Amino acid sequence: MNNRILGIAALALAAMMIWQGHDLQAPFSYEPLGPRAFPLLIAAVMALCGLRLAIRGGGQAPANPPGANTRIAAMFGVIVGYALVFQWAGFIIATALMTLLVGRLFGGGWVGPAIGGVAGSVLLFVLFDRVLDVVLPVGLLGAWL
Amino acid sequence: MNGVLEHLSQGFGVAFTPLNLLVAAIGSFFGTIVGVLPGLGPINGVAMLIPVAFAMNLPPETALILLAAVYVGAEYGGRITSILINVPGEAASVMTTLDGYPLARQGLGSVALSLSAWASFFGSLVAFFGIVIFAPLLARWALAFGPAEYFVLMVFAFCCLTGLLGSEPVKGVLAAMIGLAISTVGVDANSGVYRFAFDSPNLSDGIDFVVVVIALFAISEMLQMLEHVVGGLSVKVPKSGRKLFNFAEFRFTLPSVVRSSLTGFGLGVLPGAGASVASAIAYANEKRITEQRDPDAKFGRGDMRGLTAPESANNASATGSFIPMLTLGVPGSGTTAVMMGALTLYNITPGPVLFDAQPQLVWGLIASLLVANVMLLIMNVPMVRVFASILSVPPWLLVPGIVCVSIIGVYSINATRFDLLLVAGIGLVGYFLRKAHMPMAPLILGVVLGNLMEQNLRRALAISDGDVVILFSSAVSVAFWVLSLGVILLPPLYRRWKKRSLLPEIAE
Repeated sequence: MNNRILGIAALALAAMMIWQGHDLQAPFSYEPLGPRAFPLLIAAVMALCGLRLAIRGGGQAPANPPGANTRIAAMFGVIVGYALVFQWAGFIIATALMTLLVGRLFGGGWVGPAIGGVAGSVLLFVLFDRVLDVVLPVGLLGAWL
Repeated sequence: MNGVLEHLSQGFGVAFTPLNLLVAAIGSFFGTIVGVLPGLGPINGVAMLIPVAFAMNLPPETALILLAAVYVGAEYGGRITSILINVPGEAASVMTTLDGYPLARQGLGSVALSLSAWASFFGSLVAFFGIVIFAPLLARWALAFGPAEYFVLMVFAFCCLTGLLGSEPVKGVLAAMIGLAISTVGVDANSGVYRFAFDSPNLSDGIDFVVVVIALFAISEMLQMLEHVVGGLSVKVPKSGRKLFNFAEFRFTLPSVVRSSLTGFGLGVLPGAGASVASAIAYANEKRITEQRDPDAKFGRGDMRGLTAPESANNASATGSFIPMLTLGVPGSGTTAVMMGALTLYNITPGPVLFDAQPQLVWGLIASLLVANVMLLIMNVPMVRVFASILSVPPWLLVPGIVCVSIIGVYSINATRFDLLLVAGIGLVGYFLRKAHMPMAPLILGVVLGNLMEQNLRRALAISDGDVVILFSSAVSVAFWVLSLGVILLPPLYRRWKKRSLLPEIAE
């Protein structure tokens, strides 16, 4: 990661905003400034910042220690998976699995995260769903809960 | 004066209801824990609790009291880790390690803990009286603001937040723009036009503020933690030795506590200068003043004044930063920006009108700040051991817990899978932005202020029929433009001037 990549990403985002926003038009307008001006103003300033960063470069971030990138990718995968099965599998099963996998990523082995996952997910389900009235999905365990 | 007392008694009436007292105690406790844990600060704690508070249907003043208690609690908690293991528990307690840890090494750990708890309390107390005196005055003044003044005021807030970032203000501006861009997604309230929704029904209402906050301050933070996996830390709180500071130490540190509290409060009121800036400036100030007068000063080697100065300053600043949010509707720090976002969930827009329209909310919050601080002072002296033991909870249990509570919070807002996936995606983007040293506070301020800023700009130009001159026509807006320019231009000029004055010395 360095300033040049950041700058180019900002330019791309600004270009996308201008492309998507240049023909925004209100069918009836009572005001001089329609829905288009503000997003385009933002995109213009963003493009200027991006240009400056891309041209001047520098700001190279130090590389991650070996293995870190794999762990981060794995963690991202677990969070996406958690999001995908959250409703279908239900809170308790999804959270127990997520705890096991994330716990392993953070160096917890098998036993600790497994026990922590099952106990923690049941505990949090009771706390939020039953005590605090924050409704959580029951999913596969629906018949028993 | 009578008005103030009347408002305060109304505020304490709100603060002393059983529910609000309970919530303040829970918030203080949770906030201290968040502060103790390195890597988690007030902004993360507040971000995680907002959706939970909202989903529990807490009334707005109770939710705000909870969040405020977490915020001040984290400022108390950070110092525990700093003193005991030389690792700042949160950003604002970096300076506390400098003299706090040496004191602990000299066997004065418990004394340092109680003395810094007192310094924190005093800082908050000064800021509390500051709020009571200045906030109503400022709110009355701001009532006269029109949309043009408001727009320029928000520009000023962004300039403050990015101008103080040191060498790379361009990244601050970029971060603010990304935040503002996120706020434009969804249906435009004035014209009904869909902007950047890509025909997705999930995006037509815009990206929820909670999704962005959780993604940036919980998910991306956890991804970053994976760069260096560390085990739980075992910490020993010294058992022997006296726990409380004595009268001589109290008198010895009192001038520094008073001075730093005032400094911290002043910096807290300024938008942009958060608690970490305040504690750094207060420490540097105290070092300079004391070393001129006292040849025995041993700053950096365990001087008690070096411990109390940053602690009173960061608490005074945290409490003081409520002033711009409550009176102007323009938050002064990342954490108050997140809190203001919480209010918008309740369809409450902070600003000068709030003092007249919702006095129970404003004064209940102000009174609760004092209540939470008293609770924290009481909790922090005998319960230090309990808080320190939190540090030994291993990350393999802590991180899944944080992920889980964050996801519960996001799910409780709309109950859609789309939001959960969006959190993961923005979290990953946030991780890359952190790697690129992008500041997160301007980004979140952009998300929170985006709609207000656009509405005020459009309203102002509607009044003037499209003439941009209206943005420069009143004395107040011209003053804010000048201040904005000053905040942006002065720091680099000052650095250049300092460099030039240093150069001859180096040349010799």
